[in-house]
Amino acid sequence: MTRNKKSGEVMFLFDLDGTVTRKEILPEIAKEVGIYNEIKLLTDKTISGKIPFYESFLHRVKLFKDIPVSRVRNIIAEIPLHEEIVRFIREYKERCCIVTGNLDVWVDELCDRIGVDRLTSKAVCRNDKIVEITHVLDKGEAVTRHFGDNFVAVGEGNNDAEMIKNAGIGIAFGGVHQPAKSVLSCATHAVFEEEILCRFLRQLL
Amino acid sequence: MQIPKTVVISCAGIGSRLGMGTTKALIELGGKPLIIWQLEMLEEVEDIRIVVGFQAEDVIKTVLPFRRDVIFVFNHNYLSTRTAASLSLGSRHTKNMVVSLDGDLLIHPEDFKKFLSLDYECIGYGIPSTEEPVYVEIFKGEDGEWAKSFTREAGGRYEWTGLVQLWPDNIVNTTGHVYQILEPQLPIRAMQIRSQEVDTNADYIKALEWVKNL
Repeated sequence: MTRNKKSGEVMFLFDLDGTVTRKEILPEIAKEVGIYNEIKLLTDKTISGKIPFYESFLHRVKLFKDIPVSRVRNIIAEIPLHEEIVRFIREYKERCCIVTGNLDVWVDELCDRIGVDRLTSKAVCRNDKIVEITHVLDKGEAVTRHFGDNFVAVGEGNNDAEMIKNAGIGIAFGGVHQPAKSVLSCATHAVFEEEILCRFLRQLL
Repeated sequence: MQIPKTVVISCAGIGSRLGMGTTKALIELGGKPLIIWQLEMLEEVEDIRIVVGFQAEDVIKTVLPFRRDVIFVFNHNYLSTRTAASLSLGSRHTKNMVVSLDGDLLIHPEDFKKFLSLDYECIGYGIPSTEEPVYVEIFKGEDGEWAKSFTREAGGRYEWTGLVQLWPDNIVNTTGHVYQILEPQLPIRAMQIRSQEVDTNADYIKALEWVKNL
């Protein structure tokens, strides 16, 4: 197992959307600003692997570019979380990290509230608006660079597959929707309830 | 009351000897899949691990409407490994006593309940009823029955059912059969149970009758 640099213990990496949150974040933002159907279609196509995450993400962010960042943060703050998972993360926060393709300017506040470290995509923001996307996170590459190749990873979408494939223990989590086929094909485990996920994570401590 | 054990059901194989083109957990007996017959006996068990491989998604879809609080464990090498590898994968990361049953095994619920209540390492044996049995030699000691040896040579009085209870530290990873994990640990306590394995077409016909009489 890859160990935490400070404590030498196994690291736990969590996808954000549909894993820590009980809903996908981008469709929730879209609902608030009246472009839900368009974003939902793009999100569903991305989840089912019909269009690549990178292009889909850039396209979806473009549709959100005129929405004040502060408003997006407020919408994200209202999205329900898997409280058992959050409790686990808070309890072992030195050993946990959220790995999300979402933008730092949107999700940093939520991660701060949980009190967890994070790897995210990055954007430059001016006058409360996104002016440039400077980095789209490749989860597989990023986690290998930061954590080596033997950590515990939890996720469900196609963009989690590389992270799950590279994990010592890769867990497909179906708490919100059925995990993507790509995730099921490389996961070591699949669980469908957050209580069971957390009980298993504790067995891995 | 919850039973603090980990039950591992190994159903990763392709069921080629049965030849129905489906993993054996999914074959229907008396109107419901074999895996559901097994799960019905496990209501009180908290930690259930189902090892899946061939038709993994179909097994998951069949199990979830009945019980969502299980952990599915993937044996992606199901074509080149046997049940010992699946048991080894399923029994990792637990400190509980592990009860292992193959995905093709029907056990009489009363006997299984009694087996689950045992607090020592033990195997389940029965009267030979399958086409290709693994025989087990049983002897009676002062403190109960013990299994002494396994053999595939014909003529044994009892067969091993595939049911076993072990501490996780005693489950080593091999590419072979579960009884080969047990061989270095013999003798081991034994309990007679009523069961029906579904390995071949003849077993399947017997199993159809067996569930009618439950």
